Amino acid sequence: MKMYLRLVSALIQGVEPSDKEKKRNKAFYVVMTIIAGFGIMLPMTFFVGVIIYALTGSLKALELGTTQNGVELFLHLISAFSFIFGLNVIFSVFYFSGDIENLLPLPLRPYQIIASKFTAALISESVMEVLVIIAALAGYIIGGGLHFYSWIIALIGTLTVPILPLVYCGILCMVVMYFTRFVKNKDTVNKITGIFTFVVIIGIVFLISKSGFDTNELIKAMSQPNNGVLSVMNCIFPHIQFLVNSMEPASLWQIIIYLLINGAAIAVFMLLAQLLYFPSVIGIGQGSARKHRASSSIIAKMKKHRPSVTYLKKELRLLVRTPAYFTNCVMINLIWPVFLYLMVVMQGQTNFLESFIYGIHSGNEETVLLFMLGIVASSVLVTAVNCIASSALTREGKHFAFIKYIPLPYIAQINIKALVSIIISGSGMLIYVIAACIWLNTGIKFTLFCCLLSLLSVSFATYFGIYMDSVNPKLIWDDELNALRGNYNIFFNMAMAIVIAAAICAGSYLLFRFTDLGSITVLIILFVVVMILNAVSYLLCHYRATKNIDNMLI
Amino acid sequence: MIKFRNVTKTYNKTVKALDDVSFDVSGGEIVGFIGPNGSGKTTTMKLLTGIIKADKGKISVNGFDIREDPIKAKQSIGYIADSPDMFLRLKGTEFLELIGDIYKVSEKDRRERISSLSEKFGLTEALSSPMMSYSHGMRQKMMVIAALLHKPPVWILDEPMIGLDPKSAFELKQLMRDHTKEGNAVFFSTHVLEVAEKLCDRVVIIKKGHILYSGTLEELEKQNKNDSLENIFLELTEK
Repeated sequence: MKMYLRLVSALIQGVEPSDKEKKRNKAFYVVMTIIAGFGIMLPMTFFVGVIIYALTGSLKALELGTTQNGVELFLHLISAFSFIFGLNVIFSVFYFSGDIENLLPLPLRPYQIIASKFTAALISESVMEVLVIIAALAGYIIGGGLHFYSWIIALIGTLTVPILPLVYCGILCMVVMYFTRFVKNKDTVNKITGIFTFVVIIGIVFLISKSGFDTNELIKAMSQPNNGVLSVMNCIFPHIQFLVNSMEPASLWQIIIYLLINGAAIAVFMLLAQLLYFPSVIGIGQGSARKHRASSSIIAKMKKHRPSVTYLKKELRLLVRTPAYFTNCVMINLIWPVFLYLMVVMQGQTNFLESFIYGIHSGNEETVLLFMLGIVASSVLVTAVNCIASSALTREGKHFAFIKYIPLPYIAQINIKALVSIIISGSGMLIYVIAACIWLNTGIKFTLFCCLLSLLSVSFATYFGIYMDSVNPKLIWDDELNALRGNYNIFFNMAMAIVIAAAICAGSYLLFRFTDLGSITVLIILFVVVMILNAVSYLLCHYRATKNIDNMLI
Repeated sequence: MIKFRNVTKTYNKTVKALDDVSFDVSGGEIVGFIGPNGSGKTTTMKLLTGIIKADKGKISVNGFDIREDPIKAKQSIGYIADSPDMFLRLKGTEFLELIGDIYKVSEKDRRERISSLSEKFGLTEALSSPMMSYSHGMRQKMMVIAALLHKPPVWILDEPMIGLDPKSAFELKQLMRDHTKEGNAVFFSTHVLEVAEKLCDRVVIIKKGHILYSGTLEELEKQNKNDSLENIFLELTEK
């Protein structure tokens, strides 16, 4: 047990920032944790809690004995997402972490390695889910007026709900790796799991939009004692129903069955892992060996470029060629409207788009302002979410020293890294902004102003992201996915982006609503504010980020 | 060509990695930097290349102060870091193109040098492949070619022989000799005392951030009654 705990602790170190990194800027962590807590975590937790509370209250009022269906469906959804995102975590922890070659020669029993790796994966996966699960269960307990005993069940559930989905991921990964040779390459696996994740998400969006997502219909469907969706989900994730059923009425047997299902799943996983894991992990590689071709003609074709051009090409090549970066940093720029659409559909505002189009066509000042604010907010958020800027220094990893010993000023390197983010985030944004403007038939001047506003917002978020990363870049990571996952800088930057975007948009809107200023004046003020933010973020990079890089110990 | 004067470096205000260290490397000299693990060798290399800042002291390379005139100082240095795993998703040619452009090497010069160096190290055929497909030794050779591409007057090499096959190690040693014959300087760290013995004009021995010896090997042997370098080194560093 002692050995198992030590191993878990050692494996978690690879995901968490090291003590040295934490110590580097304690105040930064404290401030950012507070901002992230109030900017992202609390609103998200509150939102989930309120939705489940309302749904539970509505179902309870119907008195059909289906009060628990809402939270049950939500926990199934969480389990499904745990499975989808868990695939990458399992592959990363079990196959591509690079520690297996160090662990195998140690006098450890196979089950100790497997159990500690599974626990490390579970902790890594659960970090982002814990608050959402507890919020959902709290919403259910309060909305359903449940007994105090339910809180203990909720605590158990919060810690254990992701176990079964992760066991599924683990078994699937091991079977795939055991029986196929072509995926014994990190890049191929990352590409396959990346495509799988996107296909599943788009599939979910498609199904939700097809169903029309009507809140009343949802409550009606949830009130059915024999709900078809729940029956199917209960077959896939059988543990959820026992967890929820054990809360009302309080049932010791149900919670025992719930725990037994989790225990059995772990036992099956451990047995299969001892058979499949070690044969499949040995010989795994990052890149495929290839026959080298003669390249004397290539040398003859080599051309001289400006350092900034070659540096830019290098940055773009690394982003596009590294599957983890391509999926998380580049692809996301093209699919974010899918999530936007999902949010519109889920709010059940079916006539939202029609009224919006009408507002733009009729020159309604409020609609025009909202459109512009939407562009600013989405440009800032997309730039933060794709994390090209907020991981610009982190991605250098072990060869961060390169930045410091080449004869290129730090600010020049920062500007090139910023340009990469502006090119990718900006072009992603412009495609949709121009498409929206053409669709709305807004005219050329309006379109150009929208594009300019979007690019300025992207530029501000980019320089701000790079500054945030410079404060404390995560330079110690095993594989590229770990540079992005569990990177608190990216998370903190997102929180800051949400807070800043919300402040800009709310401020502009309130100015329009509660003063005599017209939409044109507010838009001019908005433009000036975004320009000032650009100047501030650039100066932060010029004076502070360069100093941070200079002072960094490697 | 290298002036390292009264340099002190402390990590986290507690660990003194270098304590008032001074040494020079003149043109035409190969200087070996030897010391046990944790003695301050890599810290010295990082200070010389501007990767980290000194708390006290002056460092200049080729007449340029590394803090006051960093770009010119860095332009004068060919540096091989302790790990060759750099930009592995770039092809060999792309990496060398990047280095060539950063150090402003003309098209003609870079073609000539890449051809000649890659031929010497047997890497010509691999240049068009991603560096991820290279072995550790091939990556190390690539770092050597990259470091020498702009014909820097000062070579600062951190354990350059690690991973090199005997032929490539021989070629590198020959290059070091040729380089210093032209009046340039080579400063390299090594754990292999035989390499230092056969190659160096002078050695600097460091332990726990203090210079124990700086001078020629002959003087060192004389001082120690013609004992082997290995014995002298062990005696000095285990005191």
